[in-house]
Amino acid sequence: MSAPSHETRRPNRVYQEGTDPDPRFSLANERTFLAWLRTAMALMAAGVGIEAVNTSTALLHTPLVTGLAVLLLLGGVLISAVSFTRWATTEKALRTGRPLPPPRMGAFLGYGLTAIGIAVVVLLILLGF
Amino acid sequence: MGQPGEPAEPPPGLQAERTTLAWLRTALTFLVGALVLLRLVAHTRPGLAVGAACVLLPVAGLVGGLAVRRHHSGDREHEPRPLLDGTLPAGITLLAILVAGLGTLYVLAG
Repeated sequence: MSAPSHETRRPNRVYQEGTDPDPRFSLANERTFLAWLRTAMALMAAGVGIEAVNTSTALLHTPLVTGLAVLLLLGGVLISAVSFTRWATTEKALRTGRPLPPPRMGAFLGYGLTAIGIAVVVLLILLGF
Repeated sequence: MGQPGEPAEPPPGLQAERTTLAWLRTALTFLVGALVLLRLVAHTRPGLAVGAACVLLPVAGLVGGLAVRRHHSGDREHEPRPLLDGTLPAGITLLAILVAGLGTLYVLAG
């Protein structure tokens, strides 16, 4: 796989207009994207971990826990996909001097994890912990 | 460097190195996550685990390797900094979705 040149950079929709910004901005954009991906990985790990405990602990063995695990995994997929789209949109904005896209995923993650936390507490109470 | 009188583009300094380290950290996170998941899947579906390992582990290694290679591509005299594009971000997003897919299979199918 050869290194990209100025003509072969992908995706086209990002690089077809505007000019290269200060490289520090592009690098910071990449690091933010990677931080979101690691967050997505943490959600996926939580989902798999919950299911691993679910299968090995008879007391917790309930479809509700499996549903929670699937929810966390889907959240991980969603954050991964949206992170890439956001990376591309931000890079394009940096190249064209337009405003950066608003941070929507932070609220989604914050409220989502709060709801999941409350669900887990309710689940533990229902299971008699 | 710009012509005299032109504002010179500031060098990325250590930002390029920090970004490469972030790439390696992320690739390693996915590699470890994939290994743990493969270990869990191997208990019930060894065939699936081997097949998934043949895809996930090389992709994780490739992402890390390409990140390091890109970092060193900025050492060339005619290209004083790494040329960024969407190849690596797309690759690691694909890896994330593959890991999540295997995780979902593990959760739903045991």
